[in-house]
Amino acid sequence: MAEEFLRIEKLVKAFGANQVVKSVDLSFNKGEFISLLGPSGCGKTTILRMIAGFERPTSGNIFVDGREITNLTPNRRNIGMVFQAYALFPNMTVFDNVAFGLKVAGKPKAEIAPRVAEMLKLIHLEQLADRYPYQMSGGQQQRVALARALAPSPRMLLLDEPLSALDAKIRVSLREQIREIQQNLGITTVFVTHDQEEALSISDRIVVMNAGRADQVGTPSDIYNRPATRFVASFVGTLNIIDATVVDPAANTIRIGDGVITLREPIGALKGGDKVSVALRPEAGSLSESATGDTALTGTVVSSHFLGSVVRTKFDVGGNQISFDMFNAPDKVLPQPGETVTLRFAAGDLLLIKD
Amino acid sequence: MKQNRLWAWIIIALAAIYFIVPLIATFIFSLRMRRGVLSFDSYVSVFSDPRFFSSFGYSLGIGAFTIVLGVLVVVPAVYYVRLRMPWLRPVMEFVTLLPLVIPALVLVYGYIRLYNSSSWIPFTGSVIGTDILLICACMTLALPYMYRAVDTGMRTIDINTLTEAAQILGASQWTILSRIVFPNIFVAVLSGAFLTLAIVIGEFTIASLLNRPTFGPYLVTVGTNRAYEPSALAIISLLVTWGAMGMIQLLARFAPKTARKD
Ligand SMILES: Nc1ncnc2c1ncn2[C@@H]1O[C@H](COP(=O)(O)OP(=O)(O)OP(=O)(O)O)[C@@H](O)[C@H]1O
Ligand SMILES: [Mg+2]
Repeated sequence: MAEEFLRIEKLVKAFGANQVVKSVDLSFNKGEFISLLGPSGCGKTTILRMIAGFERPTSGNIFVDGREITNLTPNRRNIGMVFQAYALFPNMTVFDNVAFGLKVAGKPKAEIAPRVAEMLKLIHLEQLADRYPYQMSGGQQQRVALARALAPSPRMLLLDEPLSALDAKIRVSLREQIREIQQNLGITTVFVTHDQEEALSISDRIVVMNAGRADQVGTPSDIYNRPATRFVASFVGTLNIIDATVVDPAANTIRIGDGVITLREPIGALKGGDKVSVALRPEAGSLSESATGDTALTGTVVSSHFLGSVVRTKFDVGGNQISFDMFNAPDKVLPQPGETVTLRFAAGDLLLIKD
Repeated sequence: MKQNRLWAWIIIALAAIYFIVPLIATFIFSLRMRRGVLSFDSYVSVFSDPRFFSSFGYSLGIGAFTIVLGVLVVVPAVYYVRLRMPWLRPVMEFVTLLPLVIPALVLVYGYIRLYNSSSWIPFTGSVIGTDILLICACMTLALPYMYRAVDTGMRTIDINTLTEAAQILGASQWTILSRIVFPNIFVAVLSGAFLTLAIVIGEFTIASLLNRPTFGPYLVTVGTNRAYEPSALAIISLLVTWGAMGMIQLLARFAPKTARKD
């Protein structure tokens, strides 16, 4: 077991009567890249700001490296932070921006210059040291902000939607750069985002937030393949959430539309007739006539869309719209609306989820 | 379109005439000291009066202290109100407007009642004390202009995020104010400083009631006793003003770069 580095205990934050963070418990290891993922207003930024010290928790504690920091002022926490709006100091050159934390810490000049050069090299902007922020693109500014945050060798790095002001291409390349730098330095990082693809692609672990609570904490694969709640399933990825009715709990059978399906996981403490939700990934199974899977759903095609590498078909099974992806091929015939199709898949692909 | 352009030019021309004609008239009048010919005699007369230099220099000194005091009071006040107490802004707006509404006379009578030489805090009992009163009074008079200049400057930068960015890098409040806030509003502070200086140099009421030898009372004395010199003085002050404005433009060019405004 790796050593624990950041621990959050029963963290609560209320603004007046509005409780924004509702008793969150989290624990992360040294060197982990953690994403806080959730829709707008769910309290991600508020948690990050409490870790940074800009907001005081209403109750609860935060520990870093075994020491409580809950009531420390931000300037004594030795944490690096990157903001959505870059927040470079407009009156300083790139060099001075990156050197700021070192100067404030009273480092000698002879130490500052090489450290700044090292940081600029890390973000591949050595040649722009004398530029002012207004002379640079958003992506460049955000890289400088990253270098500035890392220069004083902080214990931890916090990033609040650092990519959301950038355009799509830069967003992808910069997130890969951030991940690479983070792995090279081995610095514990908390990354806030509302973009599930972003979180899935760069995190060691993801915390899915829902209305001030942490619904699920897990690896990207856990979160995507085994969502713990209906909210996680619907927010992360394009999972199909299907309404079903329990037929026989002892035999693990449920009814979807007119078909009865046997689940692989135990249904647990439910009786016949209870409503349940099951999730099915759109890429699970295939539309073949031959019995390649051990179970199947039959329905009527509603629509079929060509999305480049995949074709997404939606079909209706007893009022549930189920999306289904298949790889594109030049000779592929798209299923037509009105056609009846049968989707075959493994019973293990159907996941029972909590509401 | 054309019609509009024509009217615009006519209005500009009328405004120019309204401003420039009196100036030219004053200038020509100031050259008429020697009978029959145009000469710079009145200027020579002004510059040969030692009281001109002493009062102007004295006012510049008071102006410098007033600016320093104003900056030290206004910049942190505006900063903290924007950062921590935004609900206090309307109150600030109102308070800083008061000097425009309440006559300077009221202020200086209040000072004299409160700080006279037989009071508990006898500021007027010494020259230094009276100078301090004068500086405080001038600072109050310049407050509406200094406040607005600084507030406008502060609006162009994201004070909250910059403060947080500096804090998390380990900066103290003082470092944030001196290294980040102040350099970014330098040009705004400069224009506030210039307005302050203009007010101090033209100030009459307070200086004369506190009996300090500033430029204002000197101007009035000359104006009531001489014919041509006041016109010469008016032209000189105008040139000084324009010179100061030019300086602001020049300094603004060398000032630290601020955020791209787009
Ligand atoms: N200083 C504040 N005073 C009052 N309410 C606040 C304050 N800061 C945040 N809130 C409220 O707390 C809730 C959560 O805000 P937070 O910024 O943490 O959300 P978020 O998850 O970061 O959302 P987003 O993705 O939009 O940034 C919001 O409803 C917001 O209105
Ligand atoms: Mg946020």
